[in-house]
Amino acid sequence: MSDNAVKRPSVVFSEGISRRFSNRLGRSDRSQLSIWFWEIDRIALSIMLILMAIGLIAIAAASPATAERLSTDRVTLDPLYFFYRQLRWLAVGIPVMIVVSMLPKKEARRLAILAMIGFGILLMLVPILGESKNGAQRWIGYGLTIQPSEFLKPAFAVTIAWILSLKVRDPSLPVTLFSGFLFASVACLLMMQPNLGATIVFFGIWFVLVLLAGLSAQIIALTMAGGVGGLLGAYFLYPTATARINSWLFGGDSFDQVSLAHKTLTNGGFIGAGPGLGTAKFRLPEAHTDYIFSVVGEEFGLFACAAIAIIYLILIGRVLMRLQEENDLFTSLAVTGLVAQIGGQAMINMAVNLQLFPSKGMTLPFVSYGGSSMIALCFAAGLLLAFSRRNPYLDRSLTNRDSQGLEWHTG
Amino acid sequence: MMVVAKGQERVRLATFQSQALVVAKVRAIVVLLLFLLAVVAMISRLFYIGAFEEHNVASNNGTLYIPPRGDIVDRNGVPLARTIQAFAIRVVPEKIIGDKAVLSEQLAEIFPDTSAQKFLQILNRDKPTYLRRRVVPEVANRVHALGEVGFDFPSENERFYPQHSLGAHLLGYVNADEEGAMGVEGAMNSLLKQEDMRSQPLELAMDARVQAALEQELGSQMLRLEAKGAAGIILDVDSGEVIALASMPEFNPNKIQKGDIPRQLNAVTNNVYELGSTFKPLTVAAALDAGTVTNLATRYDATEPIRIAGFVIKDDHPQNRYLNVPETLVHSSNIVTARLADNLGAERMQKLVRSLGFDVPPEIDLNQKAQPLWPSKWGRTNNMTIAYGHGISVTPMHLASAYAAMVNGGIWRPASIKKLRESEIPAGRRVFKASTSARMRQLLRMIVVHGTGRSADAEGFRIGGKTGSAEKPEDGGYNKKSLVSTFAAAFPMDNPRYVVISMIDEPSGNAASSFQRTAAYTAAPVIRNLVPRIGPMLGVMPDKRRDVNISELTPLLWKAGG
Repeated sequence: MSDNAVKRPSVVFSEGISRRFSNRLGRSDRSQLSIWFWEIDRIALSIMLILMAIGLIAIAAASPATAERLSTDRVTLDPLYFFYRQLRWLAVGIPVMIVVSMLPKKEARRLAILAMIGFGILLMLVPILGESKNGAQRWIGYGLTIQPSEFLKPAFAVTIAWILSLKVRDPSLPVTLFSGFLFASVACLLMMQPNLGATIVFFGIWFVLVLLAGLSAQIIALTMAGGVGGLLGAYFLYPTATARINSWLFGGDSFDQVSLAHKTLTNGGFIGAGPGLGTAKFRLPEAHTDYIFSVVGEEFGLFACAAIAIIYLILIGRVLMRLQEENDLFTSLAVTGLVAQIGGQAMINMAVNLQLFPSKGMTLPFVSYGGSSMIALCFAAGLLLAFSRRNPYLDRSLTNRDSQGLEWHTG
Repeated sequence: MMVVAKGQERVRLATFQSQALVVAKVRAIVVLLLFLLAVVAMISRLFYIGAFEEHNVASNNGTLYIPPRGDIVDRNGVPLARTIQAFAIRVVPEKIIGDKAVLSEQLAEIFPDTSAQKFLQILNRDKPTYLRRRVVPEVANRVHALGEVGFDFPSENERFYPQHSLGAHLLGYVNADEEGAMGVEGAMNSLLKQEDMRSQPLELAMDARVQAALEQELGSQMLRLEAKGAAGIILDVDSGEVIALASMPEFNPNKIQKGDIPRQLNAVTNNVYELGSTFKPLTVAAALDAGTVTNLATRYDATEPIRIAGFVIKDDHPQNRYLNVPETLVHSSNIVTARLADNLGAERMQKLVRSLGFDVPPEIDLNQKAQPLWPSKWGRTNNMTIAYGHGISVTPMHLASAYAAMVNGGIWRPASIKKLRESEIPAGRRVFKASTSARMRQLLRMIVVHGTGRSADAEGFRIGGKTGSAEKPEDGGYNKKSLVSTFAAAFPMDNPRYVVISMIDEPSGNAASSFQRTAAYTAAPVIRNLVPRIGPMLGVMPDKRRDVNISELTPLLWKAGG
């Protein structure tokens, strides 16, 4: 009796706590956060967070190389300077991603279209107000500079998806033509900077979307020919592209980025030199951004590189397979466009590091040190998660209507 | 009508909608497959790179530094030579923007050993010139702080000898073209530069502690006796490994100067001497081996000098009586040794000398080797003088290898600079019978206990050996005042492990050696001081209860009034 008397209050207290926590995010919890948690693609979100964590480790490995390169006789950067900066950008970027992913689909679409207009205007202003870095005028802003093209990518993907999806309301609309016109204007603005890498990504997004929207086979063939023609044109007309493609095809001198990256990547063998033991990375320009994949290769080995490539494939596969259950054309197109943007950028970056593709100024999404482009990427990821949100109960009733879903409804 | 049309329109739209969805889904799979293809291609490429392309860093030696030229270490891993990066200061006169006169003043301040005038001369040359090489960073910084663009500071590979002059003749040095110029650096040049060998240091047989003791003892004796030079070698009798090799005066391989050339002569391997009485035990061993001496008690006439072909063979310590073999060695009798050689005959004497390699340069893996001076004809007289070390000139290295063979059981082996593993020790060739070798151990010990080698004895170390004081040949005769005094020793005589040769070149005969120049007063004390220092390092502990048994031979020594 006395035992009970003593224990009772604590038991009640712990029961109360556990009940409160078990309800939190439980299926019966009807709060905004809980609905978001059950509707969101948690696997895709986890993979993105895993990639960001991998990115932090990789940046910790690459940061000393860049910090040493950028240090002068006056200013010595902390070896982990870029690691701490990345932590700060992630502290901004992850909330951006979560907040955007919480928007209802319509509002997310509206936000993206507004972003398309806003950043489109900024992109037009770049030639007038922008500042030059590494021989290209891509940056805009005072104090905090951003690349409008980075933010434009997800907005563009969603806007094109919206335009193309309009045809199911009225098949007579010339949506493909209109989307093509939009792409062409963006491409013109980008090539003025010049920024061939981003142009390729925009082309990739647009092409994947018109492909999904039912472009006929002849036009696909024509577009591909046009793409090849565009690359050839860039090769002959655009000196940076000429130099980079030449050094990719014919092997440049031993001190260009490509061969330095290759030396870094191959230095560690399958299992790597070990964290912090890389040496070739110190000779690599842009170790923390474009060539972070090579730094991972040197320190953590080629197996780790293969694992990263597979993680991207899982992310893409997960998102695209989940779309097989989707019945809204706009959602399908928008999500595919966004995943094409992120996945395509990742593939091109890795291919460049592996010398399968000529050198492009392009970062590895979630992994590379990003700065403001990290925010843009989180915005894209947030949109992707927002559009791929789905009521888990609705799914089963709609897609499996013929089988147990129907029974469940009737029963 | 309107309603029907609208309805049809809606159905058509719905059909179109679902068709569009199906197309989108199928093509999304196509897009996914394209991504899959890309990832498969990248993973194949990764495996191709990992399997077929070279990668310098294996996971376990990620921090290993492979020097451009292999390090050299002693037998215990003490660093003797390594390659470092050092600054050079170069001037490109045409780029100079400052006032050359002022600059040369400033340079002279930084480098007080060179005058401003000399610097001005260099600055006025029309082609780029090195001001200095191998400069420490602080000095390079001071020159850099002058703010003159005409200077540059190339970082160059420099060979650094952390032990300075220690073992300099053995190690040699590296010239400006990064090629080994002498010593081990010269002899093993290609090995040290070989890509796959550089990561491992080259292990010498030398023991830096023993080398330091040898250099210190020889060097101080050379200074005390005001001698012209000195040389020493310590040889492992069972493997032929060179534990220490010293030649005085020494030089600093870190800073090669023009005046160094005579100092760079390796007196142990690259200079020949008439080594005198140290030859006598070899002659006795040959006689024992050939059976021309069957009884050690047999006495030979030493009452008066031998006169042969206008040549007089006489003793330095004349006993003026008949001497047996032990007495011959103990008193270092030229006369009896000459008689022993005469009995042995020129043919067998020559065979011995050839079997010990005295007709060819010393067998050691160095390039600085001298050809012995072989007598132009080997007549009866030559045969008798060679028996006590005159008329043939060999290097101290020859003598050390011969003594090793004499005491180790009779096996002659070439000397090795490199540390040898058990399996790498050469089989060698037999030059003496084992019984002869055993007898010689007793006789050598007797010389130190009872004879001219007494001043080499160190208590408990069972040293055996023979003095040798040879006058240097001069104008067809011999100069009585310029001697090469040698002591050839081995220890411990009950189980010989090391041969030690000490040689003093032209001791002045001052008060430090009681105004004597002979080996007993010059070279032998080096052994007495040296062996107690190096013995424990080499695992030979002093032990008064152990010794080679010479009691059977001691009665053969006649003592006046005894």
